[in-house]
Amino acid sequence: MDLVLQLLFTGIGIGAVYALVALGFVLIFRATNVVNFAQGEFSMVAAYLMVVFSVDLGWPYWLSFLIALAGMALFGVIFNLGVYYPLRHRTYLPVIIATIGASILLSNSVLAIYGPQPQVLQGWFDTPGIQLGPVYLDSQYLLIIGVTILLVLFNFWFFEKTLLGKKLQATSQDKEMASLLGISVSTMIMITFIYSAVLGGLAGILVAPVLFVSIQMGSTIALKAFAATIIGGFGDVAGAIVGGLALGVIETFGAAYISVPYKDGFAFLVLIAFLVFRPQGIFGERVAEKA
Amino acid sequence: MPLLEIRNLVVRYGEIEALRGVTIAVEQGQVVTLLGANGAGKSTTLRAISGLAKPASGDIMFDGHSIAGLGPEAIVRLGISHVPEGRRVFPGLTVKENIMLGASNRKVPASQISREADAMFDLFPDIRAFSNALGWTLSGGQLQMVAVARGLMAKPRLLLLDEPSLGLAPVIVQAVFRIISQIRKDTTVLLVEQNARMGLSVADHGFVLETGRIVLGGKPDELWGNEAIAAAYLGGHAKTHA
Repeated sequence: MDLVLQLLFTGIGIGAVYALVALGFVLIFRATNVVNFAQGEFSMVAAYLMVVFSVDLGWPYWLSFLIALAGMALFGVIFNLGVYYPLRHRTYLPVIIATIGASILLSNSVLAIYGPQPQVLQGWFDTPGIQLGPVYLDSQYLLIIGVTILLVLFNFWFFEKTLLGKKLQATSQDKEMASLLGISVSTMIMITFIYSAVLGGLAGILVAPVLFVSIQMGSTIALKAFAATIIGGFGDVAGAIVGGLALGVIETFGAAYISVPYKDGFAFLVLIAFLVFRPQGIFGERVAEKA
Repeated sequence: MPLLEIRNLVVRYGEIEALRGVTIAVEQGQVVTLLGANGAGKSTTLRAISGLAKPASGDIMFDGHSIAGLGPEAIVRLGISHVPEGRRVFPGLTVKENIMLGASNRKVPASQISREADAMFDLFPDIRAFSNALGWTLSGGQLQMVAVARGLMAKPRLLLLDEPSLGLAPVIVQAVFRIISQIRKDTTVLLVEQNARMGLSVADHGFVLETGRIVLGGKPDELWGNEAIAAAYLGGHAKTHA
C-alpha cells in the first residue's frame, strides 16, 4: 500500500508535465486545426534557457525562471510569425511540415551550441523532499503538481470566465464568423501561440531537474503528451489533463511492477489500446458534438 | 446620399465570375430585399459588403466612403453587421456568450455587454430560457434568433441578413419576419431571400439577381405587378394568383 501511494505521487508528478504539454498541443490544435510537432521543443528550449541563465551565467533561480518564461512568450511570437502565419491560408499539410521543420531546426541549433552531452539543472528548492507518513514527497514533484493545479485553475478561469477566453474559443470554432463579429483572428492566434509556448516552457523547466536537459527531452515529452491528448480525446482541454495524468501514473506503475526498461512502452501500449477500442478517447463524445 | 451604394461590383471565385457588375443602393432606414435563385450571387453580394469576398472591380460605398477591399474586422467596426447563411452560431459557446460576442466590434466593458445581451432577450423572448444552453443543442429557429440577436449586438447601422427563413417551419419563419419588422425601426436592413413572398412583405425596395447581374429593381408592388417577372424570378406567385 505504501509503495502504491509512493508510485501514485510520482506518476501524477510526471503526468502533470505531460498534461501541460498536452494542453499546449490542444490549444494550438483548436486555434489552427494543426498539430504542432514542435511543441516538445518548446519545453526543450525553455530548459536550455534555464541552463543559460541559471547555470552558465549563475543568475538567481527565480530571475532565470522569469527570464526563461518571458523568453518563451517571445519565442511564441516568433514561432507564430515564422512558422504558422505565412502559411495560414494554406491547407493543414504545409503547416504541419513547417512545424516538423521547426522542430528539427530547434534541436539541431541547440545541439550546435551545447553539444550532445546532457546538462544538469538544479531543482527550485534546496530541500530534496519531505516524508509524509509512508510517502516521500520529492520537492520538485510537489512543485510540478502545485504549478499544474494552479495552471489548470487559471486555464478554466481564463477560458470560461473572461470575454477574451470566449473570443479565443469562438476563433477556434469558426474563424470566419469570429472575424465577422470584429474579433481579430490573427491576434487570437498570436495569444494562443504565446500561451502554448509558455505552458510548454513551464513543463520543460519544471521537469528538467527530474530528467536531464538534453536535445531529446522535447521529443520524448511531446510523444507522451501527444499520446495523452489521444487518450483524453483529441482537442479536449479536460481530456489533455486527465490523459496526461493517467499516462504518467500508468507508466510509473508499469515500470515498478512489470519492467523498467519497457517504461516508455506502456504509454504507447495504452495508446494503441485506446486507438483500437476507444479511438475518440475518454472525453471523445464532446469533441464529436462540437463538430 | 444612400447609406450603401454598390457600383458595378465584380467578384470572382477563381475562374468563376460570381458577380458581373452589380449596382444597387440602400437608403437609410429602408429594408431592401435581394431576391434570386440559388447561385444567382445573393450571398456573394453580402460577403463582398462585409469583406469576406474581395471585389475584383467596382466599388462599395458606405456612408460616402469606399469600403471595398477592407477586411471583415474593419468593416463591422464601421457599423455593418453580417448575419451569414447557415447562422454560424458558435456550437461550443452558450446562447448568451454567442450574443455577447456580437459586441466585439465595440469597445465597451464586459459588464455592459452582459447587460445589453440580457436586454436582447426582450426582443427574442423565445430564446431567453436557453440563455445557458450550448449552441449545438439548439433548433434551427432558435439558432436563427441567436444569430440575429448576435448581429444586432454590434449596434449596426446596416444589418445584412442572409436567408433567415432557410430550413425553418412556416410558423418560425413568421416569427423571424416579425422580428425583422421590429428591427427596421432602428436599423437599415439588406435582406437576402429565396422566399420572395416573405422577403418582399417587409421590404421598401427589392432587387432581383440573376447569374450575377441585377435584372430588375423596384418597389415590392411593382415587382409583384410584373407577371412575367414574378413567374420567372419570384417563384410561386404567378401560380397562386393566376
